[in-house]
Amino acid sequence: MKKKKASTILAIVTALSVLAGCGGGSAPAATGSSTNGGQAQGEKPSEPVAISIMANLHTPEVPSDMIEKLLEEKTGTKLDIQWVPDGTYDEKVNASFATGTLPQVTYLKNAASLVNMRDAIRNGQFWEIGPLLDQYPNLSKLKPDVLKNTAVDGKIYALYREVPLSRQGIIYRKDWADKLGLSAPTNIDEFYNMLKQFKEKDPDGNGQDDTIPLTDRNDLIYGAFKTISSWLGTPNNWGEKDGKLAPEFMFPEYMETMKFFKKLHQEGLINQDFPVTSKTDQQNLFITGKSGVYIGAMGDVSSLHPKVVEVNPDAELDVQNKIEGGPNGFGIWSVPGYGSVILFPKTAIKSEEELTGVLAFMDQLMSPELGNLIYWGVEGQHHQLEEGKVVPSEDTKLTDREVKPYQAMQVGGPLTIEGFYEPKHMLPVKAKAEEMIVENNDYLIEDPSASLDSKTFNEKGVQLQEMIKDGTYRFMLGDLDEAGFQAVVDNWLKSGGQQIIDEFNVSYESSK
Amino acid sequence: MRRIVKNRAIYLMILPGFLYFLIFKYIPMSGLIIAFQDYQAYLGVTGSPWVGLKHFERLFTEPMFFTILGNTLLLFFLNLAFYFPVPIILALMLNEVRREAFKRFIQTLVYIPHFMSWVIIVSISFVMLSMDRGIINELLVMAGFEKINFLMSSEWFRPMYVLQIIWREAGWGTIIYLAAMAAIDPGLYEASRIDGASRFRQMWHITLPSIRSVIVVLLILKIGDVLELGFEHIYLLLNSMNRDVAEIFDTYVYTAGLKQGQFSFSTAVGFFKSLIGLILVMLANWLAKKAGEEGIY
Repeated sequence: MKKKKASTILAIVTALSVLAGCGGGSAPAATGSSTNGGQAQGEKPSEPVAISIMANLHTPEVPSDMIEKLLEEKTGTKLDIQWVPDGTYDEKVNASFATGTLPQVTYLKNAASLVNMRDAIRNGQFWEIGPLLDQYPNLSKLKPDVLKNTAVDGKIYALYREVPLSRQGIIYRKDWADKLGLSAPTNIDEFYNMLKQFKEKDPDGNGQDDTIPLTDRNDLIYGAFKTISSWLGTPNNWGEKDGKLAPEFMFPEYMETMKFFKKLHQEGLINQDFPVTSKTDQQNLFITGKSGVYIGAMGDVSSLHPKVVEVNPDAELDVQNKIEGGPNGFGIWSVPGYGSVILFPKTAIKSEEELTGVLAFMDQLMSPELGNLIYWGVEGQHHQLEEGKVVPSEDTKLTDREVKPYQAMQVGGPLTIEGFYEPKHMLPVKAKAEEMIVENNDYLIEDPSASLDSKTFNEKGVQLQEMIKDGTYRFMLGDLDEAGFQAVVDNWLKSGGQQIIDEFNVSYESSK
Repeated sequence: MRRIVKNRAIYLMILPGFLYFLIFKYIPMSGLIIAFQDYQAYLGVTGSPWVGLKHFERLFTEPMFFTILGNTLLLFFLNLAFYFPVPIILALMLNEVRREAFKRFIQTLVYIPHFMSWVIIVSISFVMLSMDRGIINELLVMAGFEKINFLMSSEWFRPMYVLQIIWREAGWGTIIYLAAMAAIDPGLYEASRIDGASRFRQMWHITLPSIRSVIVVLLILKIGDVLELGFEHIYLLLNSMNRDVAEIFDTYVYTAGLKQGQFSFSTAVGFFKSLIGLILVMLANWLAKKAGEEGIY
């Protein structure tokens, strides 16, 4: 009995020392001392600080806990990570929020999810962390501009996960294109021509008319739709029209994009079921060589390449970004500097001390050592170091299972973590994709509504957006004509859309 | 009271069931209160402002309201008309199989789909019905027909829905009927055989009337399930192209409530849906009693 009491006290002391140590400065050193401290007194390792986390899972399987164990060891914590599949992530966050069961560290899915949380943030459901960030050596390196984009009423509540501003582009079968004498498309007509030839000229040479040139999925944003719409010059979510903000679907370019997709669909240049195709099925069409063009994040080429080659050893992939289509030259939509954000609910973190402890943990996650660990895995196992650059393991099945899921837990990114390993791309096409992602930065179409606010939008923006989404798909599949789509837009305006437009414009004026 | 003490063992046996209903069915009902509030998760039930019937008004004036009500009722009646008789017919057929081993084999075979989740059933049908190389469409093309867009058309949603339910549940549904048939007095069959009744006549005049009350009870219970059309099933089949026929109260509650955090509104929708269910059950029970059956209460 007595011994138990002693160990509890020890646990508390150790916990405090971890917190104090991390708050003070050198994070890795502090963890070392805490474990040593425990052992020096001849006791069993003390009870670590428990930290609960909810994170977005992009892989089909729950990851192995190898990295988790390493993280626990290095930070002196006991992690309780709840992996929630990407497809239902927002629902899960909403349900947990309503029942007051959000974990201490809550990763939101994306910028739109943060918009949904604004009301709750304003009502004081999450800790404001802006003033505390300076105390942490790593967290203080987060970029003020990006933090400002996540702010609510000018106050900072969230850490962010850095992503490149625009990763969008084409991945295509170079061997098919070469065979047909096609070069990389540089404008929308060449792109269309490539699809057409991929359909008609039997690029896989099996003598059958069985190729589906473009593979797409049920996602208007991260699928092909939004990227092609920005080639054609559609604004990113909201755009300025006669000095006023208006939603993208009220612009003629949006209609052009829908017509383009309708044409692709009618001529069989895209998978016929694309509005109900999952990401896995979409990628499978490409991997198995049924389809030759994939639009999405160009970086995906590194995970697609080994799978494509496994099916067909002669396959060759290439990437391409700048496609000219609109009157304003090249353009590509961008995110507001962050991929997801991290919130700290007050229901889970009761006191400011507890908050400092959790932030100390986040600070450690952003240290070069742990930042690299969660992103690249263990050296010698998941990657090799060559000239200070990372060469990721070729065993993508292993890294998919053990490392990739943890990348969702990243805080900051290459721009904010000093000593974050750069990849050395053994795969030339991956290197090219990375270059093009940087190149995209010169042609960004930014979302002017990113930092604006509208009460109605927070309340029913998602539901209203669903109307537009339905309308867009129905137009592309030939179920609606132009007048029919206009009716959908009119209905949108009537059901609250007009209010959203007005409120955004008020907010826009005051931010000028 | 003394009787309770005397029969305490029996009353003790009721206890778990009683607690189950109390904890999982009755206590949560108090949550319906938030249908009359502007519920904010962080203010709780006690702190959220009262708004009266605002959410119900919104529901009834929602442009989708009559579509959703219509879809819910129509899918329910289709379910009742096309699915409900299938297990009875199947059970009658199984009952006529005299070879025990063969009967067991068939039974196992038709039970299996019940143990597959909707995700699997729907995925299998997606693979089969896809426009891009789905086997059914390939067969249609080979037979000289046009491809049919099963997955994304309003016309095909309902047949697909009912067929999938039959596929998954018909075998499982036979269990109760088979049990009821096993309880029929064999003397009746013997007597009828002596009178020269054929197998079909026996089925018609003995088996069916004997399970009549089971059928009626199950029918009423089924009607109580107008609430449960299978949210997961429909949600998986639902897409932008068939929303006008596929959106039901359950899916609407999910999209309006959980995806967008409008808890009060979706509770109001759910409340309304429950009322419809209650009315239908009472109606069915009343009809059953009129027809001389026992009903369920």
